[in-house]
Amino acid sequence: MTDVPPTPCRGRRVLAAAAGLGVLGLPLAAPRPSPSSPPPAASPPPIAADDSGTVLYQRNCASCHGQQGEGSHRGPSLTGVGPASVDFQLSTGRMPLREERQINVHQEPVFSESEIRALVQHVASFPPGGGPPIPTVGGGNTQSGRELYLTYCSACHSAAGVGATLTNGRFAPSLFEATPTQVGEAVRVGPGLMPAFPPGILTGEEVDDIAAYVDVLQDDRGQIDQGGWSLGRLGPFPEGAVAWVLGLGALLLLARRLGSRVR
Amino acid sequence: MITRRLYRALDARLGTTSAGRTALAKVFPDHWTFMFGEVAIYAFLALVLTGTYLTLFFEPSTAETVYDGAYQPLDGSKVSSAFASTVALSWDVRAGLLMRQAHHWAALLFVAAIVVHLLRVFFTGAFRRPRELNWVVGVTMLALALLNGFTGYSMPDDLLSGTGLRIIYSTVLSVPVVGSWIAMLAVGGEFPSDETTPRLYISHVLIVPAIFLALISLHLVMIIRQKHSQFPGPGRREHNVVGSRLWPAYAVRSLSLLAGVLAAVFALGGLVQINPVWIYGPFHPAQATSPAQPDWYVAWGDGALRLFPPIEVHIAGHLVPAPFFPAVGLGTVTFLLLYAWPWLERWRTGDKASHQILERPRERPGRVAVGAYALTFFTVLLITAADDIIARLTGLPVTGILRTLQILVLVLPLAVAAAAFVVARSLRAGSATTVGELTREDLHAGLTGIEESPEKTPDPAGHIRLWRNPDDTWRWRWHGSGDDLTSNEVFLDRQEALDAATTAFPGIPVEQDEPPEGVVLPPPRREPGPVTKVVAGLVWVAMAVLGRRADRLQSSRSEAAE
Repeated sequence: MTDVPPTPCRGRRVLAAAAGLGVLGLPLAAPRPSPSSPPPAASPPPIAADDSGTVLYQRNCASCHGQQGEGSHRGPSLTGVGPASVDFQLSTGRMPLREERQINVHQEPVFSESEIRALVQHVASFPPGGGPPIPTVGGGNTQSGRELYLTYCSACHSAAGVGATLTNGRFAPSLFEATPTQVGEAVRVGPGLMPAFPPGILTGEEVDDIAAYVDVLQDDRGQIDQGGWSLGRLGPFPEGAVAWVLGLGALLLLARRLGSRVR
Repeated sequence: MITRRLYRALDARLGTTSAGRTALAKVFPDHWTFMFGEVAIYAFLALVLTGTYLTLFFEPSTAETVYDGAYQPLDGSKVSSAFASTVALSWDVRAGLLMRQAHHWAALLFVAAIVVHLLRVFFTGAFRRPRELNWVVGVTMLALALLNGFTGYSMPDDLLSGTGLRIIYSTVLSVPVVGSWIAMLAVGGEFPSDETTPRLYISHVLIVPAIFLALISLHLVMIIRQKHSQFPGPGRREHNVVGSRLWPAYAVRSLSLLAGVLAAVFALGGLVQINPVWIYGPFHPAQATSPAQPDWYVAWGDGALRLFPPIEVHIAGHLVPAPFFPAVGLGTVTFLLLYAWPWLERWRTGDKASHQILERPRERPGRVAVGAYALTFFTVLLITAADDIIARLTGLPVTGILRTLQILVLVLPLAVAAAAFVVARSLRAGSATTVGELTREDLHAGLTGIEESPEKTPDPAGHIRLWRNPDDTWRWRWHGSGDDLTSNEVFLDRQEALDAATTAFPGIPVEQDEPPEGVVLPPPRREPGPVTKVVAGLVWVAMAVLGRRADRLQSSRSEAAE
């Protein structure tokens, strides 16, 4: 999957690299507007309601990504990244950065849904526009999803969806928090080290199927972990630890009790 | 009434009573560390029981089939029969998942128990003459356990185990000159071949278990022939065994342990998920999953592969690829050293005598150091096999972790071995019973090697009393200071009892005595009379005739029903 058009994902990669390498010298955590209450009405020029995207962008993003998304030495350019990318970064809580060295994991998003929508709109308005749109994902087939997942995703995200270690301290995250839309966005955008899969490689239905299977792996109804305690689905390493500590540990204690001489 | 007569008839023909009485009176030394091997045997029993159930449903074939069952995401997919039947075992067969998981947990416990048993034998010097042969049998069983564990892990043809099989195949290929031939003969062509799974299967369920059964029997027969070794203690000599009799004391203990092993195996099997192959999916050469580890007992090989730097050398024009050294080389050296250890140690110490009394580990600091080195070395390798999981959990770069472990695997075993050597020597020098009681003087003695052998209180010689029971049988009892040991067997005449007593405690005065009050002794052996024999024979014939008639009646009835 290396022959994908690099344009949509290179920006993301640069961004993730910048974040990962700690290039950003300043604490970037913007004052955190609580999702329940709108940002306090600023004293300088009153702003119309439909302009909230601009305000949010100016307050939280512009210091690194530039006034018009042109980027700066602290953050990559946002021109042409596309709505899917912006929505993915914001809705999974990866942006805005809270620490210098961002951990690439799903977090509680900083902004509310409507705020994210406004920001996506605002970034999309930067010239020249374009980039992958937010996909509509849902109603996939789990059987074909399972096969596609094992073909395209499991090498990094693990067959069990727990994620895996990559090079340089980076890792493919677990998929247990991802919503179907976020799965679709990540497939199309390719955040971080992940390659992007444009519609020429994975059709819309195939993305639906993959998202449906990821939903199975998330196991909300506790059905896929049929065998009991899942041990984090990390495979033989925790299994061996359980066998030694719980299994053999209990048996050795039993032998200790039984083996003492009874008169 | 009937059972008693039947028993007498049997006894008259087979002599079961005298053999049985000797067997039931067999003495097992009382020490909890002597039960590790039993844990392994009972885990083997659990493996046979659960494994038999699994063979009823598992299809050892890579022929393509359509899975049709309760696991929705696989329903209607084309997969290999081996994989489909394993998923069906887990989702569609009644109690199938319990049995599968119990089988897998029992396998992990089996190898773990063997390793702990081996450590006990190693650190107490139980492998010394005359038990070197049994050590060799035991090490062979460890090797076979690893082999059978790996074939069992690989049989379901899932994505994770397929990756493992691929690694083993490649390490076999790495053997210079003959590697590709061995690999081709073993899997029947290029990997993955259709013949791999049937071969794994027949070796897993028939060949290796059959060899195993023979070796376990040999192991036990040798223990019975050579008698159990025992730790030093009051009244314990090279020619006796002090402990509990098989019946009733030790049998109850051992059966409790059996119940404990089965409980642990089935509790884990029912409560903790292991190897969820339906999640891993079927093996496909183009697919992969990560993190991927083998089961713990092979993971040291995986760890060595991850640690070893990519060094390739040419020997006489033949390339020796990097995987050869950590995989094939390390495994061969490990098992050769294990096999040779009794002879290596004899060569080092010059101790050629026969030993029935074990050593405490501290008595041989050198051996403790070697054992500590090996344990630390393999523990580091085991941890290395999970380097990616550790990187994930700690957030550290995996290359840094690997570099650290490469240093640790060289340094840490040496450090631990040195520390163990000093501790063992300090313990030997002083009077401390545990590490916590060591004094500064002890440690100093351990470090400098200057030991003032503490005054060991000599084992009291004691004396033996011999007495006649009211029913004309004889027994004896050894009296030490504060310790009494009674003979486990009852003897028919005075000379037999005297011989046994002087064998167990040579050179100790024997006094004759009347039986102490309140001691209940087993009844003496009685030959059944001629009348009993005739009656028993008649009962046998009667039962056989009756049984045959009942069979005939039943078959004629079933014919009538048709």
